[in-house]
Amino acid sequence: MQTPVSTACCNELPIASRPINNCGAMSAQIDEPTDQRLIESTLGGDDEAFAMLVARHKRKVFGIAARFARNDAELQDICQEIFVKAYQKLKSFRGEAPFEHWVSRIAVRSCYDFLRATRHDRENVPLDGIELGTQPSGNAEHARELLQWAMARLKDDERLVITLLEFEERSVRETAALTGWSESNVKVRAFRARQALKKILETSHER
Amino acid sequence: MNDEQLNQLFQAARGARPETSRAEYGFETRLLAALREIRKQPTPWATLAWRLMPGFAAIVVVTGAWSYNVQSQMGAEASLGAGDEAAFAGLLGGE
Repeated sequence: MQTPVSTACCNELPIASRPINNCGAMSAQIDEPTDQRLIESTLGGDDEAFAMLVARHKRKVFGIAARFARNDAELQDICQEIFVKAYQKLKSFRGEAPFEHWVSRIAVRSCYDFLRATRHDRENVPLDGIELGTQPSGNAEHARELLQWAMARLKDDERLVITLLEFEERSVRETAALTGWSESNVKVRAFRARQALKKILETSHER
Repeated sequence: MNDEQLNQLFQAARGARPETSRAEYGFETRLLAALREIRKQPTPWATLAWRLMPGFAAIVVVTGAWSYNVQSQMGAEASLGAGDEAAFAGLLGGE
């Protein structure tokens, strides 16, 4: 036999442990705590609330970081750093933009820092097994590998801007907001990046 | 290579979404463990110094203001009053 749960006792539980049906209310609606509520609980010391926040937004963050990481270990390290930074800066989140945008900005900046830190390692990636055809008939994985190899030879800011504009399909305005650069700066960097990328692909094709 | 070819290459590459589900598995548990470890570590000196910076800045401002005040008071005491100045001028003039 189930014991009825009173509203008073529910409110004393940590946010992650509360029943999802609004403390036994007859409402059929699922009462998912909002991001703002989870943030408040996290700031109040509830780690489980932060875990829920992470679970809700990790897919987006992993998607961004996976464009820059070379393997699962690197991906996990970058994502861990992103969410640790988010946790440490959570007090400064003012709720003017959705949490997802805020954490995406942290993710992009952390990925940029990662690119700068690992620049020398990336330049030595061999072209083994990658055919240099650039026709769209080639499969997606092949195109991704080829571009990944070529982009490892770009400057860090060029790689970041190409990733956001071309792979993540962000607008110039979104890219500017994520990177902290002006829109005209994003356009200039994107133009230079494309020129550099074409040159790298042409040179490698001639070899 | 022209722009069109490059766009076609990007178009093809966009079809390959990076697979992250393996790395995502159990991520929250590892993250919370890492946060607990970070919280256990003592606050580094550099962080502590930055936190105390407003206090230091306030001390500098108060000390500067006090020093300026004291100096201006001493300057006022050392300078001659209007009457003293006339008497001194008369003395020099042989009166």
